[in-house]
Amino acid sequence: MIDRSKPPEPGTLREYVFPAVERRHLASGITLLTSQSGALPLVTVRAVLDAGAGAEREEEQGIAWLTASALDGGTTRRTGDELAWELERLGAQLTTWITWDALHVQFTTRSDHLDEALGLLAEIVRQPAFPPREVERMREEQLAEMLRKSTEPRALADDCAAHFIFADDATYGRPLIGVRERVKTFDAAAVRTFHTRRFTAGNCAVIVVGAVDAAAVEERVQHAFGDWDGAREAPPEPRTTARPDRTTVYLVDRASAVQSELRIGHVGLPRHHADYYPLLLLNAIVAGAFTSRLNLSLREKHGFTYGVRSNFSFRRGAGPFVIQTAVASDVTARAVQETINELDRLLTDGVTAEEVRAAGDFIAGTLPLEMQTTEQLTARIADLHTFELPTDYFSSYREQIRAVTHADVMRVAHEHLHMNRLAIVVVGNAASVENDLRALNVGPLVKQA
Amino acid sequence: MDTCKSISVIERRIDIQFERYSLPNGLRVILSRDPSAPVVGVNLWYNVGSRNERPGRTGFAHLFEHMMFQGSANVPEMAHFSLIEHVGGSLNGSTWLDRTNYYETLPAHYLELGLWLESDRLGWLLPAMTQQKLDNQRDVVKNERRWRVDNQPYGDWDERLQEMMYPEDHPYHHSVIGSMEDLDAASLEDVERFFRTYYAPNNAVLSIVGDFDDANARALVDKYFGEIPHGPDVPPIPGRTKIPARLDGEVRATVEQDISLARVYQAYRTPAYGSDDFYAALVAAAVLANGRAALLYRTLVRDRQLAQDVVAYTFPIVVGASMMVVWATARPSAQIEKVEQALTEQVQSLASVNDEDVERAIAMIVAQQLSSLQTVDERADQLSMYTTIFDDPGRINTELRRVRAVRTDDVRSFAREYLRTDNRAVLSYVPKAGS
Repeated sequence: MIDRSKPPEPGTLREYVFPAVERRHLASGITLLTSQSGALPLVTVRAVLDAGAGAEREEEQGIAWLTASALDGGTTRRTGDELAWELERLGAQLTTWITWDALHVQFTTRSDHLDEALGLLAEIVRQPAFPPREVERMREEQLAEMLRKSTEPRALADDCAAHFIFADDATYGRPLIGVRERVKTFDAAAVRTFHTRRFTAGNCAVIVVGAVDAAAVEERVQHAFGDWDGAREAPPEPRTTARPDRTTVYLVDRASAVQSELRIGHVGLPRHHADYYPLLLLNAIVAGAFTSRLNLSLREKHGFTYGVRSNFSFRRGAGPFVIQTAVASDVTARAVQETINELDRLLTDGVTAEEVRAAGDFIAGTLPLEMQTTEQLTARIADLHTFELPTDYFSSYREQIRAVTHADVMRVAHEHLHMNRLAIVVVGNAASVENDLRALNVGPLVKQA
Repeated sequence: MDTCKSISVIERRIDIQFERYSLPNGLRVILSRDPSAPVVGVNLWYNVGSRNERPGRTGFAHLFEHMMFQGSANVPEMAHFSLIEHVGGSLNGSTWLDRTNYYETLPAHYLELGLWLESDRLGWLLPAMTQQKLDNQRDVVKNERRWRVDNQPYGDWDERLQEMMYPEDHPYHHSVIGSMEDLDAASLEDVERFFRTYYAPNNAVLSIVGDFDDANARALVDKYFGEIPHGPDVPPIPGRTKIPARLDGEVRATVEQDISLARVYQAYRTPAYGSDDFYAALVAAAVLANGRAALLYRTLVRDRQLAQDVVAYTFPIVVGASMMVVWATARPSAQIEKVEQALTEQVQSLASVNDEDVERAIAMIVAQQLSSLQTVDERADQLSMYTTIFDDPGRINTELRRVRAVRTDDVRSFAREYLRTDNRAVLSYVPKAGS
């Protein structure tokens, strides 16, 4: 019999070496990011345009989403269907999407088809045709998607959280997909206007990751993107004013609900903030890991939920900090109370040294596990571009995480958790949860049908 | 570009090396070394799923999976999660119709930790089981059901289709998540019985993929798993497991829900995973909805603008017969009957599908499979799967040949034989009046 009573000691550490990333600024203005990696003969190519929802003008809310969809509608050289065939005959599928900070165009294919891949990527980005019929179809799909989200509790709760956390004039208070009144007026010309303004060489990064010769990529990208130019134009500064000036319960009635979707949070912080690393650890301790305080309490102790998670959405501007979970209707108020109690306890009694160490090891350790595929690595490199981080960022990241102290975590907890200004958003059956929520007395209750 | 040739060039280069052996207690072990990054995936498949549940205990295999994370004789409550997360690893488990899997991805020097944790719960789970833990996880799972099924638009589609597609005494008649009533009925005695019946080394496969020393890994597997005794023979799957690969008539249902967009599902009964015809079904589904040049996308979404989205896939399940599921979400302006009719027309048009569509579908499947092999966790899971289902881990290298062997004629005959209105269930979701 062997001794099983204690966990075994680790073996010899083999230090993880992050894939090298190279960044070049091409004469055209394009930023090129490459990383040679991967055992399989695959390559992922991505264009990152500074054309996310944050780059929209007031009257354009929703146009970035529509532009991303409409890139799929064909180019000046081929129809949408022909474009799909061209890619999919090779097993490659084009995906386009937006965040607040960027618009992304990506596909993965065989690495020895790099030239064709870059040629197609350039064609999609530079020469979209935006045929009216396709743009209008995608606009109708976008409107239908808004309708779908209005009856899907998780998406509805996410949208409500953004709405109630931010003030009416804030950039991040509405969904990425836009608002109906504006989107229904968009046509091909509107898309083309946005494209012309935001799709310039200076606003574009090209990322190439996979089994390719990084040294040879520059010339091939230059060749593919040709005479493109246009200066970098920074997007407008995001507005991030908060809505509630005191903790408020926002109850959104969904009569058919058998569970309440909860979103509890407030305005967080931008990506470029001196407290970024301590905040990552704080978040892991709150509800960013399975063994976080809230998950252990709400799930493992009380059985209120299948799981609870928290997140600081780090964007160019201050994105929201949100705790999210779904709980049975009859324990909704108790779950809200327990969440507040846990946060209060954390602020009053503090976190332990062991929690800080464990959170740091968790965050630093799991990063390599999330960089195994060309697409995962591409996603990380896209962040380097968006947030203007150095190419040796990944290796310094681990040092930065491990340098965070217990005092740092407690300081940022006190500075950046705002218990007296929480937006507590409940999407659930008002008839069964409203009285209990009122009885909590955590703040005024605002009800929305 | 010559697609088929170019895809096959990559495919020939898939050559995942592995060693396979068994312990005297019946545990099958697959080791696949890849030192390219200091990470390791540990993956266990147990050959038990919701298909093995007895009447009145639907959902139990999954509830049991939750109990496997509640500690064991030497692993304190919650330590399974904390020990792995705190060394920078990730972990989870999942239950399906045919199997239950448990896995962790770890920094390579923590391989032994993973083996200690997995062996302790396989060998010594029961001493750690308590009524309080069971009651807690029952509540967690009931909330999982609410989250996935009861509070989610279309959330019960698979539960309903399974009921429509399989006879009441077939093990796929009920869903993995099970009913609230049956979850309430689960007892500690059930936990003990289930554990003694199905959780034995002879009913499991262990795969380790990543950066490890071969001799060391073998020694560690031996050390931690070697002394767990061989279990009794696993009882046969309950119920009527042999059913024809054809239904005898169409089954229909319509559900009113609090939704904005109507959706129609069609499920066609097909031969089980592993049979030759199954690969034709796989390709047929990819012709229909894998990609933007896929048949359903270009007809229902792009051209006729009837549908908001289209999906098609074939369940890789093995008991008796499988099913291919196709669905389309209707645009607000489209009548659901029209969408269904268009869906049926396109599905049936596969009886005369052309080479180009089939080649594109195969290219998509091959590329997606290749891409998935990039992570140690996915390779470990596939090695466990192929060993559990076919007793052949080498399928990780050869399975794509079966896909590539599918000819246009195979898809046509598959469509003529199986994609018929008398061999399907049709399930429509429509917005509740007034919602």
